[in-house]
Amino acid sequence: MKRKLISLLRIIRSGGNNFIRNAWLSIAATAVMMVALTIILSAVVLNVTARNAVKELSKKIKVTVYLKDDVSEPRRTIIMSRLKAEQGVDDVAYVDRREAERRFKTNVSEGDKVFIEQALALTGNTTLPESLEVSLTDLSKSGAVVKVAKEDGYKDAVDDVSVGKNDVAKETIERATSAQKYIVRGSIFAAVLFAAVSVLIIFNTIRMAIFTRGEEIRIMKLIGATPNYIRGPFLVESCMYGIIAGILANVSVYTAILSLGPKLQNQAEFAQSYNFFTSTGMMILLLFASVFLGIIVGIVSSLLAMHKHLKLKHW
Amino acid sequence: MILLDRVSKSYNKKGIALERISLHVEPKEFVIIVGTSGAGKSTLLKLLTREEKPTSGKIIVGGIDYERLKDKDIPFLRRKIGVVFQDFKLLPGKTVFENVAFALEIVGLSNKEIRHTVPKVLDLVGLKGKADNYPGELSGGERQRVAIARAVVRQPKILIADEPTGNLDPKHAWDVIRVLEKINHYGTTVLLTTHNQEIVNKLKRRVITITDGHIVSDKSGGSYK
Repeated sequence: MKRKLISLLRIIRSGGNNFIRNAWLSIAATAVMMVALTIILSAVVLNVTARNAVKELSKKIKVTVYLKDDVSEPRRTIIMSRLKAEQGVDDVAYVDRREAERRFKTNVSEGDKVFIEQALALTGNTTLPESLEVSLTDLSKSGAVVKVAKEDGYKDAVDDVSVGKNDVAKETIERATSAQKYIVRGSIFAAVLFAAVSVLIIFNTIRMAIFTRGEEIRIMKLIGATPNYIRGPFLVESCMYGIIAGILANVSVYTAILSLGPKLQNQAEFAQSYNFFTSTGMMILLLFASVFLGIIVGIVSSLLAMHKHLKLKHW
Repeated sequence: MILLDRVSKSYNKKGIALERISLHVEPKEFVIIVGTSGAGKSTLLKLLTREEKPTSGKIIVGGIDYERLKDKDIPFLRRKIGVVFQDFKLLPGKTVFENVAFALEIVGLSNKEIRHTVPKVLDLVGLKGKADNYPGELSGGERQRVAIARAVVRQPKILIADEPTGNLDPKHAWDVIRVLEKINHYGTTVLLTTHNQEIVNKLKRRVITITDGHIVSDKSGGSYK
């Protein structure tokens, strides 16, 4: 047991020495892997941020169901329950006449208020209609909500249905949803591309290390080194690429997040994502995930190189 | 200690390196194997270190039957056999001490044990003051003695020396032979291959002559002409 531990420590030390001995190749391999991991991490961050932003923006778009004047409370409650049961609906709120007036007074400028009050007086409606405000978690479900509200069964109670008060917000959401799809596709493509380049570079680095140490490997075999003792340093070396690249990728992504932080925190669409990614738990998780991914890429590349060039089967 | 029973080795149908060789070496023997280049001496040693597999026949070394030896056990077999090569096979980037220590490091000995063992072996081969030198700073004879030190540092029962004096002048060649005799004196079985007639004739040990893959003579206190 003690001897195995000593051998393990020697393998780790030897791997470290190889890393330093081939400094330039090591730097190149680590740099490419760092780029690959940075792209993968950025893709995760952008994807989550885009999703949260879409979700947050969706809340601003509400379907307003205007009720007729004589709708009883039980009837209103039935309609509210039906709307709430619909998929993608976050909440259904009842806005009575008083609340509608209050909002109207808050949102409309003094000049417009006089004009609208005069118009209402002329048409005979001295008060604004009651309504049900339907908040959505998924904007694409707004059509389904409108359809429900316009069903024949509710014609006695529903006067009119309006989707969204803000066309610009709706357009922004649609753009964000579309951008999110492109971010996912683009980042998967870039990540696969850079991961492949990374595998190739590490493969070549390990291959060159095997050629450089060819005589040493032959001597090791002849004097009784086990295959694992010979393979070990190459695996350690490639793990070091993964660990260093993982840490550096994390540092670069978090530098970007934290530098953008003050600007993003004031915007509701991004504040949630910012707080999510800057929580200690998530920072540790992402660090471990990127280091783990780096190690996996390193080990796979090095195993491929050893399988092809380190002829340990023929003793 | 070493038993070969009707061992043959061929690389293809025409190239037969060894044909039905039978040989028995007792513990603590000093055996010299002679023969011209291509006679099959090196093939015989490679069969013993399991660098090559025989085409047919039985090989038993130190109680280990090679037929039953699995690939994963080969490193452990080699730890029981010391090997010295004509071209030394030292690592130029390591000092004399580190080259010898290398054989102990791979078996997991602690640094303390290595620091205790290596100087003793360097003393045995007459290189006490050269521990910090690099192979490039040594003469051919000294380099070969480093290789012997590395081969015997784990105290193997068998030492195989494949033409260790091939690249050396007579004085250094004799230095190496004296070291091998000393190691044999302490109880290690030595198998030495050489072309050097003077060494063979002066040592007066058991001499096995191989010609064209066959053992043509096997005599104690033999000679080489």
